[in-house]
Amino acid sequence: MYLKTLHLRQFRNYQNQLVTFHAPKTILVGDNAQGKSNLLEAVELLATLRSHRTSRDRDLIQEGAPIGQISAALQRELGLRNLTLTLRNGSRRTVALNGEKLKRQLDFLGTLNAVQFSCLDLELVRGGPGERRVWVDTLLTQLEPLYVHILQQYTLALRQRNALLRQQSSDPNQRLKSFDPAQLAIWDAQLATLGSRVIRRRARVLNRLTPIAQTWHKAISNRSELLEIHYTPNVPMEADDPGVVQTAFLEKIQQRATAEYHQRTTLVGPHRDDITFNINQTPARQYGSQGQQRTLVLALKLAELKLMESVAGEPPLLLLDDVLAELDLNRQNQLLEAIQDRFQTLITTTHLGAFDAQWIKSSQILSVQAGQIGEDTST
Amino acid sequence: MEAKIQVGQCSICFHLSADAVCDICRSPNRDNQTLCVVADSRDVIALEKTREYKGKYHVLGGLISPMDGIGPEQLNISPLVHRVNKESIQEVIMAISPSIEGDTTTLYVGQLLKPFAKVTRIAFGLPMGGDLEYADEVTLARALEGRRELE
Ligand SMILES: Nc1ncnc2c1ncn2[C@@H]1O[C@H](COP(=O)(O)OP(=O)(O)OP(=O)(O)O)[C@@H](O)[C@H]1O
Ligand SMILES: [Mg+2]
Ligand SMILES: [Zn+2]
Repeated sequence: MYLKTLHLRQFRNYQNQLVTFHAPKTILVGDNAQGKSNLLEAVELLATLRSHRTSRDRDLIQEGAPIGQISAALQRELGLRNLTLTLRNGSRRTVALNGEKLKRQLDFLGTLNAVQFSCLDLELVRGGPGERRVWVDTLLTQLEPLYVHILQQYTLALRQRNALLRQQSSDPNQRLKSFDPAQLAIWDAQLATLGSRVIRRRARVLNRLTPIAQTWHKAISNRSELLEIHYTPNVPMEADDPGVVQTAFLEKIQQRATAEYHQRTTLVGPHRDDITFNINQTPARQYGSQGQQRTLVLALKLAELKLMESVAGEPPLLLLDDVLAELDLNRQNQLLEAIQDRFQTLITTTHLGAFDAQWIKSSQILSVQAGQIGEDTST
Repeated sequence: MEAKIQVGQCSICFHLSADAVCDICRSPNRDNQTLCVVADSRDVIALEKTREYKGKYHVLGGLISPMDGIGPEQLNISPLVHRVNKESIQEVIMAISPSIEGDTTTLYVGQLLKPFAKVTRIAFGLPMGGDLEYADEVTLARALEGRRELE
C-alpha cells in the first residue's frame, strides 16, 4: 500500500498542512520539537486509532481549536482509499472511509497498516510486562480488528469485577452482608469467557510471529544467536480450545480467591500476561546487552512488517522515529535490505549526516519547522 | 436499599404510568402467564410497537453495574421474584440488549427465576451493544419469536 497524501488540519502543531509523498522513502528532517513525530503519530492514528503518546483526543487537537482532522489518500491494490479521522474537543471522534461515515470504529481498522519503530521500543525488551502487552495488542488491532472489541469487553468486565471486589467490606462481620457470591460468579464467568478469547488470540499471533522474528534475528546477528519468544499467560493455556482455557481460568480464580479478597482486585487474567524473550536461553530483559536488545527489537519489527504483509496481502508502511541514527551501519543495512523499495517508509531525524548515503539517495527529503513542511531542495 | 415505587410508575410492573396500576397490567386481554423482563420503560414501548407480544412486562429500572454502584438491590429484582413466585408465571422472557452489564443482569435474574418458571432470552441478531430501543419492529418481533431457553 502507498500513502499518497496526508492532510493535517489543526492537528498537534499543524494548522493546515498537506503533504504529498512521491518516493518510497521520505525523510523528515528538522530540529527538536518541530513536528516530526507528530506527523508519524497522525499515520499511526489512521492505522490503529490509537497514539502511543496519549489517550486523550484533546492533546491531539491543536491547542485552542475545537476540532482537528487527519485525512489521507491511500493507494491499495484494489483502489484508492480516502481515510478521515475527525477529533473533537469534548465529544466523540468520528471516522470516515471514502467519504462515508462509519458507524463502528473497528470497520476503519485494517485499511492502512503501519509498523512503528522508535527509540522508545527498546522498552519492549527492557520495560515491564505492560509494554509487551500493549505491543501485542497493537499488532492484533491491525491484524484482527475484532480484537479491539474483544479487548474492550474484557477490560470492561474486569473493571466491573474490580468494582464489585472493592465493594465487599473488609470488616469480616460486615462482609457476609455485602458479599454477593451469585453476582461474583457471573462476573467470573464473563471474565473467563472474554479473557480466554484474548489469551487465545495473543497466543496465536505470537506463534505466527516467532518463526519470522527468529529468521531475522539470525540474519542480523550473523547466525550466532538463537532467539526464543515465549508467551507467558497468567492463566496457563494447555490447548487452543475455548473450553480448556475457560476451565483453567475459573480454576485459577478459585485458587486466588483469598488473595483477591484481601487485595480487592482481580489477580487472574490476561491483564497480567507477559512475553519472555530469550537469547541463547537467557532472558534478554535482564541479561541482554544494549546491542543484543537493539538487534532483538529490530528483528521483532521486521517480523511485524512481514506478518502484516502476509495478512493484508500488501506491504504495510514503516514509521521510523529517530531510530535510524541509533542503529550501527550493519543494522542500518540489514534494515535497508529488508525494506528495499517495497515498504513505504517515513523516517524522522534531526541530522541527515548520521546515516548511510544509500538511504538518502532515493529518498524524498522534507524539512519540518514549527508545524510547516517544506520540500528540501538543498540536497 | 429496597426499590421504592415512585410516582408515575406502575406498582406492579414499574412501567411508566400515571395511575397506580398501568394499562397493560390492568388489561383483561393479556396473557397472565408470560412475563417479559426489560431494563427500561423505553423497551416496553419499543416492544409494544411490534404488536407481537401479548404477555405482561416487568421493568428492572437499569442494569447491574458495580462501577456505577448498581447492584441487584438497586433494581426491581426482588419484586420480580415475588411476582413470578406468586402469580404462577409459566415463562419469563429476558429481553435485555446484549452488553457486558446486560448479559450479567440476564444471567443473574435468570438464575433466580429458574426454580419457578421457564426462562428464555430473546435472540438478538443485533450487534453487541445494539439497543432494543433503536431496533426496528421487524427485527424485534423476530428476536422475540426466536427466543431460546436460558442455559
Ligand atoms: N495539541 C498541540 N497543539 C499545538 N502544539 C502542540 C500540540 N501538541 C504538541 N505540540 C507541539 O508540537 C511540538 C512537538 O512536536 P514533535 O513531538 O513532533 O517534535 P519532533 O519534531 O519529533 O521533535 P524531536 O526531534 O524532539 O523528537 C512541540 O513544540 C509541542 O509544543
Ligand atoms: Mg520526535
Ligand atoms: Zn404495570
